[in-house]
Amino acid sequence: MKYLSEYRDGAVAQGLITRIRQTATRPWTLMEVCGGQTHTIVRQGLDELLGGAIEMIHGPGCPVCVTPLEQIDKALALAARPDVIFTSFGDMLRVPGSECDLLQVRARGGNIRVVYSPLDALELAIRTPDKQVVFFAVGFETTAPANAMAVWRARELGVSNFSVLVSHVTVPPAMTAILDSPDNRVQGFLAAGHVCSVMGWTEYEPIAERYHVPIVVTGFEPLDILEGMLLAVRQLEEGRHEVENQYVRSVRREGTPPAQDLIHKIFRLSDRQWRGIGSIPLSGLTLREEYADFDAEIRFGLETLSVQEPAECRAGDVLRGNLKPRQCPAFGTRCTPEHPLGAPMVSSEGACAAYYNYARFRSPTAHEG
Amino acid sequence: MTGVRYAAPACPVPLADNERVQLGHGSGGKMSAALLRDRFLPHLGNPILQELGDGAVVSLGGAEIVVSTDTFVVSPLEFPGGNIGALAVHGTLNDVAMMGATPAYLTAGFVLEEGLSLDLLDRVIRTMADAARQAGVPLITGDTKVVERGKADGLYINTTGFGLLDPGFRPGPRRAESGDVILLSAPIGRHGMAIMAVREGLAFETSIVSDTANLAPLVNCLREAAGDAVAVLRDPTRGGLASALNEIAQASQVGMALEETALPVPGDVAAACEMLGLDPLYVANEGVLVAIVRPDRAEVALAAMRAHPLGAEAAAIGRVVATNPGYVVLKTVVGGTRIVDLLPGDQLPRIC
Amino acid sequence: MCLGIPGRILDTRDDRGLLMGTVDFGGVKREVCLAYVANEVVPGDYVVVHVGFAITRVDESEARRTFEALKEMSQLEELDWIGEVADQALAAPPSAEAP
Repeated sequence: MKYLSEYRDGAVAQGLITRIRQTATRPWTLMEVCGGQTHTIVRQGLDELLGGAIEMIHGPGCPVCVTPLEQIDKALALAARPDVIFTSFGDMLRVPGSECDLLQVRARGGNIRVVYSPLDALELAIRTPDKQVVFFAVGFETTAPANAMAVWRARELGVSNFSVLVSHVTVPPAMTAILDSPDNRVQGFLAAGHVCSVMGWTEYEPIAERYHVPIVVTGFEPLDILEGMLLAVRQLEEGRHEVENQYVRSVRREGTPPAQDLIHKIFRLSDRQWRGIGSIPLSGLTLREEYADFDAEIRFGLETLSVQEPAECRAGDVLRGNLKPRQCPAFGTRCTPEHPLGAPMVSSEGACAAYYNYARFRSPTAHEG
Repeated sequence: MTGVRYAAPACPVPLADNERVQLGHGSGGKMSAALLRDRFLPHLGNPILQELGDGAVVSLGGAEIVVSTDTFVVSPLEFPGGNIGALAVHGTLNDVAMMGATPAYLTAGFVLEEGLSLDLLDRVIRTMADAARQAGVPLITGDTKVVERGKADGLYINTTGFGLLDPGFRPGPRRAESGDVILLSAPIGRHGMAIMAVREGLAFETSIVSDTANLAPLVNCLREAAGDAVAVLRDPTRGGLASALNEIAQASQVGMALEETALPVPGDVAAACEMLGLDPLYVANEGVLVAIVRPDRAEVALAAMRAHPLGAEAAAIGRVVATNPGYVVLKTVVGGTRIVDLLPGDQLPRIC
Repeated sequence: MCLGIPGRILDTRDDRGLLMGTVDFGGVKREVCLAYVANEVVPGDYVVVHVGFAITRVDESEARRTFEALKEMSQLEELDWIGEVADQALAAPPSAEAP
């Protein structure tokens, strides 16, 4: 595929890996924010190939993982209603709530459908006027323009049986929360390339400045990630701390302004709970007053539901980068993809799932057989 | 609802274990395996069933016969490249062939939902008749039931196949040995993505068509070329290539080392997988077989497959190894390694 | 939040006031909302698509440049030893700049 496959070239990747190992005069610790980047790293075995040159700490870049338990439970409550068709991206279906997940609700008779795009959910609402269609609007800034458009269109076209359950989070506050944490070890960041495609990178400049950390806007293919790492390491070696753009084919400093405009029209910033981390001020998006009639929480009276996390899941430590999944005492034993204790184990983006599925043990000798 | 509700106690047993069947139990992954192991085998287990092959081998009046049964529940009933009838015939013929037997007879049981279009039923039956005729395998007995509207996804079909076993050709999931070469007869991912393309909520436009096919003639080529050196045969249907290889690795207690660069994935399948965030290794196939062959006959086996239309794009994709028994390990495009594990349930499209 | 893939716009049309287009992803086509890139794309352009929306236009000249630069950078691997020698030579004075 054009503009995709060429960024998986094995020979070029090997060359970049060598470059990184040559450039680093000491081990550096970087964090990639986005779960999609985590997956490429672990799926391609990049972290293993870097030797000791770089330690990658996997950040809270998975909106599935950081969606608060409350929101999952609200989703489950909505999905169980006979008058509701609950629509969602596939990622959310196996995330555990307090008592079950969406797949189990489906087994009990809930009408739950996976959609590819929020507009599909809206179309479904138009086609089934006798049902309420609720869409689980989850994501970072990358998905916010799509979710915003679904709400805006619903108003435009007068679709009254459509509503959204919102659980949006934004990246920069999470990064500063990590940097503010007393046990922070992150020395540089690979910023999420598609979040920045939408938002640009101006929000990261004050962060780089204040905390003296290089921030490299990075894509998702192996060559993108390797180049991002190389640029970050170079900055660290040279004592620089700038925002740099590796993902030039997709990201401009100003981002995509029309998308930002509609996000601001439909949503406002609010304090948000991050599962496993806690409350981060002004880190979430909530529907504005004018669009409150599309808020499923209000429409179905779920605003005041609140819950507590099971104690054993160490998702918070994993998400903050203080615990590698393998170091968690429950990893692979009490907590597995089939019986997850927390979201990072089920989400296709979650660091724990990535480790469990791809790197449960390292076996460099497998190919000597 | 107000106030704080406490979650499940901080006890290692997580979510309340569900008491119901879930879709994941039918995916061919870990949940399916657990269902078999924990629910079916304890009561029904016997030495023949315990083998858990694609079919069973029985001795009847001196002849060795393979029996295999499968039920087809695909939705939608018609999809690019075929319909449920094609799957029902090919699927069971293939299961018999994967045991090394020459398919001889088929039976078919139908569950029809009240309201099913008779035109559609007609198309399905004609497809089955054509497929059976081309294979030279008559459908000799069957059954039909009708259930109320809403109780079946239009149509379910069960087929059972019988074939005669040649004593000199007994591939089986426990026969893989370190050093064996892993051969794939054709590119992967076509069937599953052809179905995905017409699934509501995920639909996209594509020329991907299901690869449903009778593989018995291809198996014949392999038998003639490499005979008993063909240690294992498996058609990777639900759960994809990853699930099939994991099952064999477990059964034979061997490891497997695959090369990502050697895996044949058609461009349009790869593109569709990229779009939905799916991994081709887990996507169902209906016209592909995996052959695990002793190293001294691997070249000959590969050449024999390539000489047949169904195996024109056959490739060697890896080796059986002694390290890490039970695990399938992939060497990635950039030279790293990763485990190709069984998924717990169905693979789900993702946004992340 | 991350899964965005590049595709080529084949055609565009207006759907009740919203700009939509057929995008080709290497053999697979889908309807995509082009509203956010409406002012900068024409059929033939590549866009990055996330959950059915084009979130940005692919800058093809930048893409080419990146890839060529990457290739070149990685080929210098063969000249490792030159780099090492140069680094050693430059290692002593603290004010020396890397080449």
